[in-house]
Amino acid sequence: MDFLKLLDGFTERRTRTVAQNASRRGFLAGVSKLLVAGAFALPVLPFDRTNAHAAGGHGAAKKKAEPTDTDCDYWRYCSVDGFLCSCCGGTMTTCPPGSTPSAVSWVGTCHNPADGRDYLISYNDCCGKTACGRCFCNTNIRERPGYRMGVHNDINWCMANQSSHYHCTVSIVVGLEEGQS
Amino acid sequence: MEKIKKRRWLLALPLCMATSLAVAGPGKPAPLPEEEIGLERLAPPDGNRLYVTDFVFNHMVDGRIHVVDGKAGRFLGQVVSGYGALTTVSPDGKSIYVATTYYPRLYRGQRSDVVEIHDGETLELKGEIDIPAKKAQAASYRSMLVPSSDGRFLYVQNATPATSVTVVDLQARKFVAEIPTPGCWSIQSWGQGHRFSTICGDGTLLTVTLDEAGQAKSRERSPRFFDPDKDPIYVHPEMLGEDRYFVSYYGNVYKVGLSGDKPSFAAPWSLLDAGDRKQAWRPGGMQVTTLHRASGTLFVNMHDKGEEGSHKNPSKEIWAYDVSSQKRVARIPSNGAISLVASQGADPLLYSLNVEKGEIVARKIAKGYPKLNTVAGIGETSLFMEVR
Repeated sequence: MDFLKLLDGFTERRTRTVAQNASRRGFLAGVSKLLVAGAFALPVLPFDRTNAHAAGGHGAAKKKAEPTDTDCDYWRYCSVDGFLCSCCGGTMTTCPPGSTPSAVSWVGTCHNPADGRDYLISYNDCCGKTACGRCFCNTNIRERPGYRMGVHNDINWCMANQSSHYHCTVSIVVGLEEGQS
Repeated sequence: MEKIKKRRWLLALPLCMATSLAVAGPGKPAPLPEEEIGLERLAPPDGNRLYVTDFVFNHMVDGRIHVVDGKAGRFLGQVVSGYGALTTVSPDGKSIYVATTYYPRLYRGQRSDVVEIHDGETLELKGEIDIPAKKAQAASYRSMLVPSSDGRFLYVQNATPATSVTVVDLQARKFVAEIPTPGCWSIQSWGQGHRFSTICGDGTLLTVTLDEAGQAKSRERSPRFFDPDKDPIYVHPEMLGEDRYFVSYYGNVYKVGLSGDKPSFAAPWSLLDAGDRKQAWRPGGMQVTTLHRASGTLFVNMHDKGEEGSHKNPSKEIWAYDVSSQKRVARIPSNGAISLVASQGADPLLYSLNVEKGEIVARKIAKGYPKLNTVAGIGETSLFMEVR
C-alpha cells in the first residue's frame, strides 16, 4: 500500500511536470514507458454512441442545452470508458466513499469549449468495490490499442491496486496540451 | 429421509386423485408419467457452435461465456468466467480456456489468477492452473489468450500495466515461464513451432521463440511495418494459413507472414475507394474482421461518417473483400454489430453481434448473404465470439 501511495504521488508529480514541460507525444510516450500511473478506466464498452449518451437514465440531470458532469458528452469525458463517478457518490475528481483511487491511469486529451483550450485528462479508476453500474459512457477520442498502453482503455486500470475490482472512473485535469496557454 | 418420503407421498396424492378423475372422465388423455431430473451433455461441436464472451460490465465479477447453436439459434449453456476474464476455445472445441481473477471474499483478500480448462461437451471444470497474478484484466480480443499451434502451450497476455506473456504448459498443467514484452501488446501465435509475435508501440513486431520447456530461447525485433501514429492497427488477427491479416483504424489491410525464419510484410492495401473516403467509411467495433478461409473472403465491420474516436463504433454495413484480388465483393446490411465471426466447413455462416441487444444475426456465406436467423438476449455485455 505504501508503495502504491508512493507511486501515486510520484505519478501525480511526474504527470503534472511532464505535462507542463513536454510535448504531448513525448508526454504520452513517457507515460507508456514509465507505465506510470495514475488512474485508469475500465474495459471498453463499445455501445452504440448514437444512443449511449444514456447517463440520464441513471438519475443523472435531465438533458439540458449544456452537458453537465453526469452527461457522457461533457467535455472532459471525451475518452471515458466506464461508469462516471459523478453518478456513483463521487465527483469528476473524487472517488466515492470507501473506494480506492487507482494507482495507475491512462490519459486523454479533451477540448474545453468554455475556454477553447485542449487539456490532458487523467482517467483514474476508483477501485475496491464491484461495478457501480450507473452512468455508463464509452468515448474513445485518441484512444489506441494496448501497444500504446498509456492511451488504452480496453483494460482495467484498477489492475495495480490491492483489490483490482473496478467501481467507476474520474476525469482529472493534469495539464494543458502542448502549445496551449 | 422419512420426511422426504412423506412429502413425496403427499405430492403423489393429488396425482392419484387426478388419475382417478382422468380415468373416470371419458375423453381425457392419460396422465403424464412421472419424471426424473436429467443433465444435458453437448454433442461435439458441428462447426456452428458459438462461444460468446460476456463480461457483464454492470457486475463484472461474474463474467460468463454463452454457448449457442448458431445455426439453429438455440442457447446451449454457460461457462462461468470470473472477473475480467480472457477466453478462448481449443481448435477442436474440446476445451474452453479461461484466464481469470478471483478474490476469496468476492472483492477483497489475496488476488489469485488462474487458467481454467472447461470441458467443451459437459461444460464442467476439468482443470485449473495457477498463474502469476498479472493477467491482463482486459477486453478479450482473440490475441489475448492463445494456444500454441500444437496445443502444448497456452500464452496469456499480462499487464501490470508493464506487459509480459505467461506461458502455461497444458500437458503438464503448470505455469512454466513469464516472458517480458515491454511496450508490446497481443499474442500472434505462429503456425509452426513454439513461437509468437507481439505488436509493439513503435510499429514493429517482437518475435519470441521458446525452447521445449517453454522458456524464451530467442527474441527478435522486426523492421517497422506500420505507423502507430498515422495508421494504428487493431490487434485482432485473421488467420489464413501462415498469413495474418490486420486492419487499421483508417481502413488499410496489413498482411503479415508468420513463417520461415522471421515475419514478412506485404505492402498494405486500402479497403476504401475515393467515394468511400469522401463519406469517411471506416472499420469499427471490437472484433472488427472475420475471414471465410475457403473462399478467401475478409469481412470488415464498417461505419460511415468516421472520425477520431469512432474506431469502436458499431457497423452500418459489413463489407466483404476477396483477399487475393483485394476487391470488395459485397456490402451487407448490419445489425449495428461490434463483432463478427465466420464459420468454416460445409455450412459456412457469417455471425454479427449487437452488444446492446445481445443479438446475433446469422447469414449464409453465399450469394446475397441471405439471413438465416436472429437470436437476441445472448448476455448483457457480450463483446466477442468464437466458433467451432
